[in-house]
Order: sequence, then structure tokens, then C-alpha cells
Amino acid sequence: MKIHKAVITAAGPDQRHLPLQTIVSTSGETKPAIQLLLDEIFAAGIRNAALIVAPGQTDAFRAAVGPHLSQIEFIEQPEPLGYGHAVLCAQDFTDEEAFLLLVGDHLYLSNGETSCVRQLLETAEREECAVSAVQATREGKLPYYGAVGGKHIPGSRDLYQIENILEKPTPTVAEQELITPGLRQGHYLCFFGMHVLTAATMRLLGEALETSGNNLPLTPSLAAAAKSGRHLAFEISGQRYNIGEPYGLLRAELAMALAGPQRDEVLTMLVELMATSR
Amino acid sequence: MLTDLITSDEPALRDRPLAQACAGLSREQLLAEAAALDSFRRTSGNLYQRVRALFFLHALHRYHLAGEPSENNGRIPFEGYRHLLARRFPEAIDSFLESQLEQGSGDAISSALAAAYHQLAFQTLADQVRKSVRTVRGNQWMFRMGHPAEHPLRIRRELLAHDGHSYPILLERTPVRMDLTHSAWSDIFFLGMDFPEGAKVINVSIDLAIHGSNKEPKPPVSAYLRVIDRPVLRLSSIDLKATAEIEALADVFDFAKDYLGLLKAAVIASGLIPPGIEGSGKPLSEILSMLVGPGRGLELVSSVNHIPKGSRLAVSTNLLAALISACMRATGQAASLTGELAENERRLVLARAILGEWIGGSGGGWQDSGGVWPGIKLIEGSFAAEGDPEQGVSRGRLMPTHHVFSENEIPSAARKALQDSLVLVHGGMAQNVGPILEMVTEKYLTRASAEWAGRGEALSLLEKILTALRSSDIRPLGKLTTENFRGPLQTIIPWATNLYTETLISRAEQEFGKDFWGFWMLGGMSGGGMGFIFDPSRKSEAQARMLAIMAETKALLRNALPFAMEPVVYDFSINPHGTFATLLSGADAALPPDYYQLHLAPLLRAEPGDLTPAQRAELTRFASLSRSNPDFSGSLSNLLETLVPSGGGSSPQSGALAELLEKWGFDHEQHESIRRDLLADRIGLARNRLPAITDITDVLPEDYTDLTRTPPSAETVALGKAALAGGSVAVVSLAAGAGSRWTQGAGVCKALNPYAKLGGKHRTFIETHLAKSSQRGAEAGATIPHVFTTSYLTDGPTREFLESHSNYGYPGSLHLSAGRAVGLRMIPTERDLRFAWEEMPQQALDEQQQKMRDSLRTALIGWARGAGEAGDYTGNLPLQCLHPIGHFYELPNLLLNGTLARLLTERPGLKTLMLHNIDTLGADVDPGLLGHHLAGGAALTFEVIPRRLEDRGGGLARVNGRPRLLEGLSMPREEDEFELSFYNSMTTWIDIDRFLALLKLDRAAILAGDTNAIAAAIRQLAARLPTYLTLKDVKKRWGNGQEDVFPVTQFEKLWGDLTLLPDIETAYVVVDRLRGQQLKDPAQLDAWFRDGSADHIAKLCGWGGRG
Repeated sequence: MKIHKAVITAAGPDQRHLPLQTIVSTSGETKPAIQLLLDEIFAAGIRNAALIVAPGQTDAFRAAVGPHLSQIEFIEQPEPLGYGHAVLCAQDFTDEEAFLLLVGDHLYLSNGETSCVRQLLETAEREECAVSAVQATREGKLPYYGAVGGKHIPGSRDLYQIENILEKPTPTVAEQELITPGLRQGHYLCFFGMHVLTAATMRLLGEALETSGNNLPLTPSLAAAAKSGRHLAFEISGQRYNIGEPYGLLRAELAMALAGPQRDEVLTMLVELMATSR
Repeated sequence: MLTDLITSDEPALRDRPLAQACAGLSREQLLAEAAALDSFRRTSGNLYQRVRALFFLHALHRYHLAGEPSENNGRIPFEGYRHLLARRFPEAIDSFLESQLEQGSGDAISSALAAAYHQLAFQTLADQVRKSVRTVRGNQWMFRMGHPAEHPLRIRRELLAHDGHSYPILLERTPVRMDLTHSAWSDIFFLGMDFPEGAKVINVSIDLAIHGSNKEPKPPVSAYLRVIDRPVLRLSSIDLKATAEIEALADVFDFAKDYLGLLKAAVIASGLIPPGIEGSGKPLSEILSMLVGPGRGLELVSSVNHIPKGSRLAVSTNLLAALISACMRATGQAASLTGELAENERRLVLARAILGEWIGGSGGGWQDSGGVWPGIKLIEGSFAAEGDPEQGVSRGRLMPTHHVFSENEIPSAARKALQDSLVLVHGGMAQNVGPILEMVTEKYLTRASAEWAGRGEALSLLEKILTALRSSDIRPLGKLTTENFRGPLQTIIPWATNLYTETLISRAEQEFGKDFWGFWMLGGMSGGGMGFIFDPSRKSEAQARMLAIMAETKALLRNALPFAMEPVVYDFSINPHGTFATLLSGADAALPPDYYQLHLAPLLRAEPGDLTPAQRAELTRFASLSRSNPDFSGSLSNLLETLVPSGGGSSPQSGALAELLEKWGFDHEQHESIRRDLLADRIGLARNRLPAITDITDVLPEDYTDLTRTPPSAETVALGKAALAGGSVAVVSLAAGAGSRWTQGAGVCKALNPYAKLGGKHRTFIETHLAKSSQRGAEAGATIPHVFTTSYLTDGPTREFLESHSNYGYPGSLHLSAGRAVGLRMIPTERDLRFAWEEMPQQALDEQQQKMRDSLRTALIGWARGAGEAGDYTGNLPLQCLHPIGHFYELPNLLLNGTLARLLTERPGLKTLMLHNIDTLGADVDPGLLGHHLAGGAALTFEVIPRRLEDRGGGLARVNGRPRLLEGLSMPREEDEFELSFYNSMTTWIDIDRFLALLKLDRAAILAGDTNAIAAAIRQLAARLPTYLTLKDVKKRWGNGQEDVFPVTQFEKLWGDLTLLPDIETAYVVVDRLRGQQLKDPAQLDAWFRDGSADHIAKLCGWGGRG
């Protein structure tokens, strides 16, 4: 299985402008966040991407994607009917192929040489099935993420067979239904904002659309797909930065800077800031 | 070896009764077994094996080693006692064992070891339940969360949908539960976790209405939750009329500060304010901000629709469950915001309710949250399996499983038939079931043979009850529940019944004959919630009659048993939903009418300009509801009444109090003098003590005669017999007190309490004492005059009671000696409260209970300060405000009120009085002891007993070289008491003439009846004795069966202090424990029956024609 296509959602009412924020990359260049994300996916081997945007936002995004314009299809989500609906808008684009799914307001930084997207694509291509990137996250953060429960794949350090997926569960429910042996107490495998999905998920989303009313979430269809086919969770070696949460942009920019050649300069700046702040 | 009984997999050996295994073992063999068990319990890795070993050790020391002849009685090391008080049980055991090794085994040390093993066993079990509750999946995270930023819960959006006036209200309504059988208390956690196959309960969820109120039964328990625009937790209990706005995190964990402990426990156990965050020092507003949003808070309101406490319908547990359920739904911990709960959600509510009960320092059985489930269900224990936290620790799981019977299993006809036959009542008694649950656990773990057979019988009855229910046949069901009550329940715990219940059953049988189908005990014991099953054609008549029968029987026994309220009959129906929630919004978003009574009165008193928009909206809403909602009819006028309280001037109660004080000889002058001394710190708890330089040592052999080792000679016995036959002795039983410990300050007459069944019938203390005098008299061929001393509290009831029972057919003369002095209780000083609670050694409690107690004590110190230290205590029923001024006065009263003159007129040859406490059941006119007293020639011969751990409060001592009885109150050092070998039983043989001589009086003066001269003589004598200040607990009843206990100050002079006077000759005689021990607490009853005490008393009694 080779993955050539990516879908990036940026149509949510709270995230329409976030991917357009400029940020200094690890190499010191100032770019819109969306461009950084696109740099990573195309560098990892993706050939084409669909960008799901809110009505009237196409031009702004077109201007922000920089050199990747030719590889991108812009799809407007007519109404904000949920994350699942936004993904389903790319059904024609993905056309029965497996695809990489990302959210537009997250940035990723790998712990090693291989980028986060590359790690995920390699895993999905090797395992030949749907894979969701996850990260062990303490329970206090559960209100922000989807989370999975499952068992280690024998012989693998970072792969899990998903048994259950819940969207923003309470720890009360998570303790009962998202049991994953081997994790530290009070930690759960939470979504990293990055998945490789198959056409089966698109079909399930399509079926769910009929009864979804004005909100079609993604998680129930992911959970259904995981029950009917092989769906793995991959504990990625990297960090995600949600630029939509308070100080999220600042954290992302600092993380980029500290991972790049300007590290000392930024550290000095931080020390000065601490010394002079009230 | 006894350890084989614990470790064996063979049921025949494992379930062999301990008593049977110990039969025939010598003292040395028993001690060797005890050593082996102690070593086993230290090394065994299995929790329940350890606990069984501990209970075995308790039983060996309490029932097999104690009381057996030994070299010496021995002493209890004070160091061990201190460990015991501080709950360092293993250290206490080590200290006692070391002492046993040094001084040999004996009664005293065995009593200490028995207590320590017993407490360690229960502590181990409680720790395990606590651990299991914390490790239930879904509960664990709450103990990890320590910072507001980590709070993982968020309020559901639906509850934030403000309609311009207010937020919507989530209403959770929950039925209560009744159990058809609990298979002999098999729902106690410890039992279910060790014997899951025997833990079975048939439990029915019911709606209620008070019969006669013309209302349809509805779920009695309601919890309301809504968002408010203030960053506080606003908690209100409608039934307790209590409300608080909590702004500080620490106050959420302060359970006894107000009456909102249950709501606080729900807030914590539901994870809103998780237990892990206690003590983090973070502002509550920060936590609420994460949970509900900045500037917002939550309001939680509870209501149980006026069901009284002690209903045995698990009202408080189901209320806790309802509150927890509402909080869990509101924060997405249950998928369903409204409607019924899913099975896994119900189980989690159960787990959280167990946690909440532990947090709140209380605890019921695991079936108590039954109202969360619908209809009729079988709740069963289940075996621990792979992956359970209990695996490898206990045989069973903490949490039971629930099987809700379908219509196919128990048809609707059966449900209807049950409803049509059962008369459900609250008998009015509110009692503490705690000691019963402890007794059941202990008997189970030691496999007492009758208990074990009873348990088996109860289990087979469950199957039969189910069969009857399935076939819709209620008549046999009634027979079976009665069989259960008469058979296994009372075999295991005779105290499950009482005279009140027995009277009700017998009257139902008399009046309804074959149409009375049976009795049904609800919950842990009878007297409160109960069921009477009748032919459906007579149910309506039976409801009316049972109400009347209960009221009449209560009136007869009101002074003998602790009633908390008037009896009630309920209408009920089986609830088909279990707990159920609805979301009230817009015009429907109303809290119960009483909520507005509680909250709006202060708003109406405020300046209109000071009201916030939310408060204005609340007033507008109430006005609109009063006009449009039928539930609110009359609430506007009720609200106005609370604003303008009717009447004025002094209450009828204060008039009644003044009358009582006048009638019972209250001395205003003395009262004011005591108050002045108290405020000036001239008297107080600390001042009761003798100077620290006082030399206190144990008595020497020449100071006493030990009749347990050297029985009286034949001549001595003959001397006593002759005195009996000659009619020269009378008995004085002290019956003036309320027996504070017997009913926890309920203010009933202890003498009239039908404490236990002896000779097949419930017997009162008074009847028992008369039966002994009757028997001794019959043996001697004479009658013995018997005097009961009475007080303001007991005089009227005792006269009435004896009259209605024709003096129990007592053949001799019987006199009541009415008290001639009374005191008025005072509000304690903070100094004395702190001395009692902080300076005196205290039994530390289990972690959460200790927190509750500390919080309560802080609140009570605040009460004392607020109410005015050393002020008169008048805020209770008049009789609860008075106090007797000490048993020293009991004998002088005989002189003052003419009783002694009547005795001397009736029996000119009367020479000796035997005075004893009402609870010293073994005291009788024993010819040997009488002969010993007469031969010795002392004015006063005091009976003492060898001391055990529980005998606290003084004893026989050498004080500065002179033997005397020393009160615990006056001991300068706690440890001095542990050096004393003997405890004062209070039983005293009195030479009348020599006692009168002490008062500088004689028979002629008594017969002349010059009360002024007698009173002056008594005053003079009293002035030579110390006055002690004491703190007593007094109950205040309010609302529907609610009770508060307040510490009050009173003073007293004590009889034993006569021994400090040099001019009266005293002697001391050591008697057997069976004779000298006192029955002070109902929790003693079980051991009292088990160790032969009850049999001993029964043998002393001649029940006469009325037995």
C-alpha cells in the first residue's frame, strides 16, 4: 500500500485563520503555519493534498500555501457540520485510496531525523492498514483529544491493535473502556491529529451522514472502522503543537526555535525576558 | 491446630466452629494455639486468612482465656493502652504480649489483647474495602488529580444554555429500596468479599407517599443540579433546611461543619471536586472555572420529601447515589444526560456511592444503592477473577452483580399482589445498626455454629421467597419472611427484634388472625422501617389499624425505648425505572417549593437595590410559579409567615422548664455560684484532678478480702441467711438515670428498657432486679423490701410502668424514692471542651471518621462560644435540660423523702441496705456477701472486681497511703489507673445506723421526719465531698427523626467519695466479675450472652407468675 494523497482540514469555525498565522520554522524562515505543514507532508512523499476550508477562505489559503499550490486541491465545506463531514468533503479527491489525514491547526516536530508524517506513512505502508498516530497523554488532557484503548502488537514497541476509540472521554469512562496495558497510570493513547485512513472509513462516514443531523463527528466512524477492519495505533516519536489552544502558537514557535540553529539566541532572549519581567 | 481451620480447603474443616475446636483445650494448650495464630497472622499474605486469625485470637482471649482461673489477674501496660488509643494496634498487641510473657497470662491482659485483636481485624477489613473502592476502574483518577489545571471534567453544553433568566436544571429522581431478604446481613462488604456465594439479596425499588396524604407514591429522593453565575458551590438540603455557599476548597472537605455533609460527599465522590485535590491550597473558583467556566459555579439541591431518618429504606445512600448520578451526568461521566442509566453507569454510581459513604465516614451494605436499579432484582456477590483488583486478595469482588427480574421471571401479577398485601411502616425507632453489623461479621468469621447454620437457612429461605414471588403467591411469602425473622435473623442477632416489634406483631396477629400473613424486617434491625403482610381484602383496614397500634404501643413504651418520631404508614409502588433524570428548562426550570422558602426570605429582607439580576430573576420566577404551578400553592403565604414569625414572649417550653426546676428542688443560689466558679476557672474538668504530688498506688492484700479466691465460710453464709430470714436487709437500686450510653443520650429511662430476652421474654432492668430479690427472698422464706431511686426524668414513668405491670408480681414491699435535687445543665466552656478533647487521652478513629469528628468538634466549640459559655442550657426539651446531681445524693434522698422512715416503720429490724447501680445485673442479696459485711462490722462494704481493659473511670487505690475508692475524674495522671488491680462495681452494703451516725442522725430522727434537720445534716456531709464537673452528651431531636448530640456541662457528687472520709469505717471485698460487671452499652449484649453472663443472671432470677 502506498499513500500519495493527504487531506488537511482547516474549515472549523475556530481554526479558519490559525493555519494562516506566520511562524518561524526550525530553519529560521518565516512562513504561514499551513506552509510548514505542507512542507513536511510533501517532503515525506505525498503527491497531492486536499485542503478543506470554509466558504470564502479559498483565496486566503491559496495565497498562503506558497510553492505547493500546484499540488493542492481546495475544497470548501459549505456548512460547519462537524469534523467527519469535513473529511467526507474529500471523498471524491481520495477516490477509494488510502490517505493521510491532518488537522490544519497542528504543527509537528519529530524527536529524531525522520519527520512525524514520514514515520506514520512508513508504518501504514509497511502494515498495509489504517493507522492513527497517538501519543501517551496524561488524563488531565483528555477533554481535548480523542483517545484509544488496545493491546501492544507482539514484537513491536510502538504499535497497538485498537480495540476502542472515544472522543474526549472523561477519565471515568477512559479507565473502564480504554485499557492499554503497559502505559503509565493515568496515561492514555490520545490522537496526535494525524491518521492514515482507508476508503472504508470514507464509506462509513457516508453511511453515518444520513443520520447525523447537523453534526457528523469522525470518531464514531473511526471506531466502527476499527471494529470491522485492521486499524492500528502508532505511538509516534515526536511532539504535536496545537496552535489553537491558549499560548499554543507561542509554544509551537519556541519549540521550532529551540530545535533550530537559533537555539542559543532564543534561550538568551528567554532569560532576559524572565530577568526583566515583573 | 486452629490455623488448620483457616488454611484448609476442605469446607468441613474450614467451616468448623471455633468454639467446638477449642472445647476441651487446657489453658496451656489455648495459649499455645494463641501463639501459633499470632505468628500465622504476622506472616500470612492472604488478607482474609489474616483477618480470621485475628478474630480467632480475639475469641480465644475474650471467651476462652478470660474468666478462666489463672495465677493472677495481671496488669495492663499503659504503653500498650496508649498505642491502642492511637490506633497503633500492632504495637499495642506487641506491648500486651510482652507483658503477658513477663507476668503470665491473666484476665486483665487477655481483655486488652482481645480488644486489640478485635480492632486490628476490623481495621484490616476497612482498609481493604477502602483500597478496593479506590481501585475500582473509573474511581482511580480522582485520587491522582492534584491541580485545577489537570481537571479532566467539563460541564455538558446543555446545562450552559442560559435562557435569559436562568440555566436549565437537571433533576434526578431515585426510588428507595426495600429488601425482601438480605440473607442474614450478607450484604456487609466483608462478607460479600469472603463468601460471595452466600451474599444474596432480593431488593425492590419503590416509590413512596405518606398514607393519608392523598398523594400518589413517587420517587422519594430528588437531586437538582444547575449552573449559577457565581464561582461558588451552593449546596442546599431541603429536608434539613440547610444551605451554604462554599467559596473555599477546604470547606468542601469539612463534613461536619453543617448539615450538608452528604452533598459534599457527593460532590467529591462524583469527581466534581476529586478527593485528590484536598489540601492542594488552590482556590475553589479556579477548579470551578475549569469545570463550568470562568465566573460560574454549581448549585446542588437535595430532597427526600420528608421521609424520616431510620426508615431502613436506605434513603441516605440512595440520595447520595442520586446526587452522584446527577453530577456524573452533568459532567459527561454518564453518556445519558436524561432518562435511565445504562448498566455500566449504574455500577459506577454504586462504586461512587460506596466511595462517598467512606468519605463521609459512614457506610451501609452493598445493596443500599438498589434504588438506582429498577424493579425487583437479585443482587449477588461475585468471585474475584483475573484482572480484578481483588484477585489474590479476597475470594469475592467488592462490587456485587445485579440481575433485574423481567416480567417473564416475576410477572406483573406478583408485583401487584405484593403491593396489595404489604403494609409498609416506620415504627418510629431510630437505632444505630453499626454494632449489629460488627457482631455479624465476627460471628461469620469465627463460624459460630448456630450462626453458620442460620446463614445456610437464610440462603435456602431466599430461594423459597423467590419461588413464592414468581408464583404471585404472597401468603407463603409472608410466612417465609416471618420464618426468616424468627429463625436465622434472631439466631444470629437476637437484638434484631425488641419488645416494641414483638408487641406489634402479636397485636396484628390478635386483631387480624389468619388474615395477617406475616412480618417482614426491613434492613439491619426492626423498630424503624418494617413490613406487615395482610390478606389484600383487609389491607386498607390494616393500614389504619397498624398506625393506631403503633401509636398505642409507642405511648406505652415511650419511656423505655428510644423513639425518634411518631410512627408512619406508607403507600408504596414498585418503581420500574430506577434512577431517572429530566432536564427542566424555561418555565419548567423550577426547584422544589421549600427551596424558595429557604432562599428567598433573606432576599425579601434585603434592600431592593442590593439584589443581583440573578436574585431578581429568582424572585420573579417564584412569583410566577406561585400563581401557575399547583405544587406551589400556599408557598407564598408560607414564605410570608417565615418573614413575620408568629407569637412572641416566652415559649411554652421555658415555662415548663421553670416548673420542673421548682418541683425538683433546683437550688438557684448554688447554680449561680457554680457558674461564677466555672467562669473564673475555679472549677473545671482540669480542676477535678487531685494535685500531681498525690501518691497513688495499688492496694495491698490487707486492704481487701478476695472472696473469689477464698469463698465465705459456712458460718458467714449462715449469718447472712439468718439476716435474710429475719428481714433485716433491703435493696436500693439506683434508677434515676437515663443511661446515657445505653441510648446515646436519648433521655429514656434505662431501668424500664427491655434490654434482652431472658427466660423467653424481653426483660427490663427493673424486672430483673425484682426477680433476683424475689428469688433470694423465697429461698430465705421472707420478702425483701426493694427500693428504686428515681429522678425528675424517671419518677413518673417508673411509677406508671410498675403500676401497669402490677409491680411484676413482686411479693415484697416496693418503694420509689423520688430525687430531691436537680441541676440545670450549662453550655460548656471552650476551655473544658478543649481539655476533654485535646488533653484527655482519646480513642483515635478511622481516618475519615476522625476527620468527621474533628470537624464536628470545631463546630461544637463554635456553638459553645456563640451560645455563651457557662450559660444555661435551655435549647432542648425541658427534661433534656435538667441533670441529676450525682449518686451520692441517692441515699440521703431516702432520708429526706421519707422512704427510709417508711422502711423502718415497716421493718423495725432493718439493719442493712444493699445499694447498687441499675446496670449491675449480677448484684443480688447474696447471703455469703451479706454475712461477710455483717461479720466485718464496717459501716460501708464496697464490692470491687478485678479490672479489665474496659473498666475505666477509677478503682480501688491507696491514696497517700490510705485505701479508698478513687474516681477516674480525679486521677492526676492517666497511667495511675493502670496500676490499680480493682474496679469499683458501686455495689455497697450499708449499715443503716452507722451511716446515720456519720450524719449525726439516728433512727429516731428519721422517724420523727424533721426534714430541715435532715437536710442540714446532708448539706454538711456533702460539703466534705468534692464536686466534679463533667461533660455529658445530650441528644436534641428535630425535623423528621434527625438527632444532634451536644456536650453539656453538669456537676455531681459521687457515692464512692464517702471512702475518703476518715470517720466512717469502710471495707472492700473482691467479687466475681459476673456479679460486679455493668451492662452499659447495647454493643456489650452479644458478648454478655456468649460469655455466660446472661445465663448467670437468669439463674439468679425468679420470674414469678409473670415470667
